[in-house]
Amino acid sequence: MQMMAGLTAGDGRERGHASSGAALDLLRIVRINEEIKRVVSVAFKINIMALNAIFLAKRAGNAALGFGVLSNELRVFSKDLRESMMTLTRLIHESVAEVSVILQESRQDELFRRTAALRPDDRQLAVVLDRRDRRHAEREERIAVLRRELRMAVDDAARLVELGGVLAKSAKIEAAYGAGFATSLGQVSGEFDGIVEEIRASLDKLRHSSFFGGSA
Amino acid sequence: MKTTQTIFEDGSHKWTAIVRDPARPDYLIDTNEYLIQHAGQGLLLDPGGSEIFPAVFSALSSEFDPSKLVGIFASHQDPDIISSLALWLEFNPGMKCYVSWLWGSFIPHFGGTAETFVALPDEGETIPLAGLPLQAVPAHYLHSSGNLHLYDRQAKILFSGDVGAALLPADKQNLFVEDFAAHIRHAEAFHRRWMGSNEAKRRWCERVSQMDIDMMCPQHGAIYRGADVQRFINWFDELNVGITRA
Ligand SMILES: [Fe+2]
Ligand SMILES: [Fe+2]
Repeated sequence: MQMMAGLTAGDGRERGHASSGAALDLLRIVRINEEIKRVVSVAFKINIMALNAIFLAKRAGNAALGFGVLSNELRVFSKDLRESMMTLTRLIHESVAEVSVILQESRQDELFRRTAALRPDDRQLAVVLDRRDRRHAEREERIAVLRRELRMAVDDAARLVELGGVLAKSAKIEAAYGAGFATSLGQVSGEFDGIVEEIRASLDKLRHSSFFGGSA
Repeated sequence: MKTTQTIFEDGSHKWTAIVRDPARPDYLIDTNEYLIQHAGQGLLLDPGGSEIFPAVFSALSSEFDPSKLVGIFASHQDPDIISSLALWLEFNPGMKCYVSWLWGSFIPHFGGTAETFVALPDEGETIPLAGLPLQAVPAHYLHSSGNLHLYDRQAKILFSGDVGAALLPADKQNLFVEDFAAHIRHAEAFHRRWMGSNEAKRRWCERVSQMDIDMMCPQHGAIYRGADVQRFINWFDELNVGITRA
């Protein structure tokens, strides 16, 4: 009965700490979720801008061949970005669900801990506590996996945005060769660059979230 | 921790009151829980709020093997009655919860699954406990709109939920009513405010007057026994309820 030996009130107390950790995690995930929602809405804007850029390049014809190629690339980029955001959104929803169950269970854990303190030698109670402990550990493990997946998805999105940044800067250069369309092409590519920078800043914030052990 | 007190015993047939928790914080209303044992099985009446689960569970365990609990009887849906449900089920997942059909889809917010609940009809029903027939008795609108009491004909005990409840001062914590006139002062405001219908109250008084009752056990306060049972019914019958000053 070695498993039961560990089921003292002390264990429960540690679990009590873990539950306040769950409350913090939930708060962090909610913040991450807000940031992701921002990025998703910005990424949607990029898609429309890329479409506009393609039409503009078509009108400019031979004067903006290079810009036309780049705006097609930007369109592909915005599609990839949206897919990446969908992955982030799914992972964040799963994390919220897991953490909120831990939060809900933590109050019961605390009540069982108090019961165990009153009946330290109750073996049936130890079985219940043991079962709850295992369930709790499984849930923590799933959160750890989600946390890693989420971190990877944020990194993937960040890499993608780096590429977007390069495309936007190239588009700025190509715009200069746009003859009579140079001003409007320059405006479009400038806006593009601005938005990519905005997404980059958001993702940077996400990467430093304390949910991943950072300081934000 | 709460204390347990045997109030009836006849062979394997036993009633235990789980009462008075000195460690209970003042902001929680004091409650009485009752355990009926028969032939090795147990039924817990109004197991209480989740906050007092540690005190009730440990007191009950000192008297009875909690894995032998086959069911919970909930007189109504209040949090001080049944919010501990999920914790009891964690311990005994197969346990049944007997409650008025009216609350069948509300109480699962405290825990349990479709298999947990046995919906009791308005007219009441017999609940068997290892062959001992226990009668759920209608007490609707007293105070809850779906409210049942539990009568043990063999023990002559009526579990009366919030009816008969008294909010007793710290220096009057006896388990049994000793001086009816002094005691009922602590019950009057509660009954006037909480009990919803004079009509329902009249019907309940008529019904229980015809029952053979040695002890009437409320969920708060002290137990009425002997002549105090009829004294209570007469007093309640006279009381005007369902009114507020506001
Ligand atoms: Fe109540
Ligand atoms: Fe009550």
